[in-house]
Amino acid sequence: MASIKAERLVKRYGAVQAVHGIDFEIADGEFVAILGPSGCGKSSTMRMIAGLEKISEGSIYFDGKRVNDVRARDRNVAMSFESYALYPTISIYENIAFPLRSANVDNREIDRQVRDIAEKMELTSLLDLKPKGLSSGQAQRVGLARALVRNPAVFLLDEPISHLDTRQRYRMRRFIKSLHQKFNYTMIYVTHDQEEALALADRVMVMSDGEIQQMAVPDEVYARPKNAFVAGFVGEPPINFFDCGVVAEPGGWAIEFQGRRLVLPERLHATAQQIGAGGLAAIRPHFLSIGEESPLRLDGKVFITEELQDQNLVMVDVGDIRFTLVAHPSVMPKRGEIVPVSIDPAHLLLFPRSQADKVGSIAA
Amino acid sequence: MYELKSVHKRYGLAKVALRKIELTVQDREFLVIYGPAGAGKSTLLNILAGITRPTSGDVLRNGVSILRVPPEKRDAAMAFENYALYSHLSVGENLAFPLKARGLGRAEVEERVSRISGILGISHLLERRPGFLSGGQRQRVALGRAIIRPADIYLLDEPVGHLDAKLRHKIRAELKALAEDLSATVVFTTTSSREALALGDRVAVLNAGKLEQIGVPADLYHRPANAFVASFVGDPPMSFISVEPRRQGDRVEFVTADGMPVAALAAEAVSNLREEAGSKIQVGFRSNEVRIAEEGDSNALRGRVDVIENLGYMKIALVGIGGDQVSVSVPAGTRLGVGETVAIAFPRDAVHLFQNARAVTHAVPSPGV
Repeated sequence: MASIKAERLVKRYGAVQAVHGIDFEIADGEFVAILGPSGCGKSSTMRMIAGLEKISEGSIYFDGKRVNDVRARDRNVAMSFESYALYPTISIYENIAFPLRSANVDNREIDRQVRDIAEKMELTSLLDLKPKGLSSGQAQRVGLARALVRNPAVFLLDEPISHLDTRQRYRMRRFIKSLHQKFNYTMIYVTHDQEEALALADRVMVMSDGEIQQMAVPDEVYARPKNAFVAGFVGEPPINFFDCGVVAEPGGWAIEFQGRRLVLPERLHATAQQIGAGGLAAIRPHFLSIGEESPLRLDGKVFITEELQDQNLVMVDVGDIRFTLVAHPSVMPKRGEIVPVSIDPAHLLLFPRSQADKVGSIAA
Repeated sequence: MYELKSVHKRYGLAKVALRKIELTVQDREFLVIYGPAGAGKSTLLNILAGITRPTSGDVLRNGVSILRVPPEKRDAAMAFENYALYSHLSVGENLAFPLKARGLGRAEVEERVSRISGILGISHLLERRPGFLSGGQRQRVALGRAIIRPADIYLLDEPVGHLDAKLRHKIRAELKALAEDLSATVVFTTTSSREALALGDRVAVLNAGKLEQIGVPADLYHRPANAFVASFVGDPPMSFISVEPRRQGDRVEFVTADGMPVAALAAEAVSNLREEAGSKIQVGFRSNEVRIAEEGDSNALRGRVDVIENLGYMKIALVGIGGDQVSVSVPAGTRLGVGETVAIAFPRDAVHLFQNARAVTHAVPSPGV
């Protein structure tokens, strides 16, 4: 296992720059998710770590040793997509043993390692079988075992669980997580799915436009996003944004929205002072409610209520802003109904208005 | 109204895609077909569209067989996962195509193209050719082309599967509202539990070609017919603990292999529990039906935290109890570590009980607890 460090890492494809000089460090045994929309530079970053792409500028270090000029196969990196091609003519045992035989490991050691990983991956009973006839889940585990038996320096997973159904996603996610807990590999998981990133990783590196927007533990990324892009990209259902005025109050600051005024909690005073008159406020759907008393109550028209059984999602149009709020399953206002929407100021986030276009670019 | 009567579909000799499906699509209903990959969802839509012929069985529309009616004569609007857009036409022309084919006037065509492209967030792409679009954009154009025209039935095969989470959320709400406003009949397939519950007036759970259960979302969620539906509907999935029944007067107590009590139900509530050796009895819990125990909780089981998943607004702790694992929703701020021992409080009477994967009872209060 290895620690990884990137310094002013740049990737260019011809005239197009995909990664703009990023710096990050990943500790030995850490699980980091690289999260961002397509085209954000996450895959280029991963491929530079793997050695599949040339580094245009800057350096990557494994355990302090610069690996820019080390070939991919000599970096000892395991990748999830290796799992797809098992050798059909040899047993599961020999499939797993293959990388060790190529490395001239002696037979007794091979046997020890194959049996060890087979037990951890719950494959012991399958060792004598051929790949044909395995379920896709079993085949995936064999592929992973083969990738991991080499004791790789780092294990890279590139969106291994997109396009699975809800139940399989949980299964696969928990399997990957338990894999990390069992083996303590340095793991990097590249995904556009914020839920997978938060659920799996020790830290999340949020990327957009070839830059790191924030790198922090999941709670931090979720509750204290560094900018509007992170706020908008992380969270399900998505956070609500609205333009607001920012005004000085006696002893503090407030925001104005559709003729109403909401006094800001102290933690936002410095931000309010910095951003000046025009702000972009954001509030998560879990911190909006219907009908409760609050300093900022808005009347909105219900667009639709989705009954998810454990909770209801209510979409309410306030002026030209559509707010999504999470409500108790017993709260189910009808389409077109006028309801009072309350904002919990304790969880309000505030960004400069200039970041509004970054938020818009997500949906495009 | 559409009816599938004992519809069976086999590909070649071995592969059975659909097994004797009995299914009714009511007028003006939003029916979601929910199942894993390979369940037969697309085959079912293709049979409704007339693209695929069932091996046996019948398809009726308002009581009349339409097996011999070719697809173009069925008034079905379709959006399939593989897009199938006209590559030589712009996005705007693709959207307008079904309207022009029906002889609508120019002003009305423009009005509808503008409305639908606005709803789907593709107004800025109208001049482009499909070849210059991302997968998610193409998918929205395909969806737009299906819903832009009036149709007897809309058949939408995972029409938002390739969109990012934010867009999915927005478009599924728009779709539901549009279907309500137009009183449209919609059949929609998905592999997402949230999507199925959010959209469906009714949801049909399909698994390996078999219809496991069909009902309103609350039925599937609170009264799943079997352990498959229970574990497939809901996010996170339901978890199960294996138990043995012990009759105690007018109650039946359910205990783990170690003798720890999990639930107690009135004997009459579990009267259809069969006494047979070797049968597998499980109690099912949703993650929000259990919690980390507080002091004084009487019905708590101790277990070890195996995995913690952070969802931002909450966490899910996966707690190993005996040989089973139970998902427990915990508030976002909770400090909990992997490997820690915790006590889980179970609602003794609010349980789902299964015998050999068949549901025995759901959430029946027991006397004296």
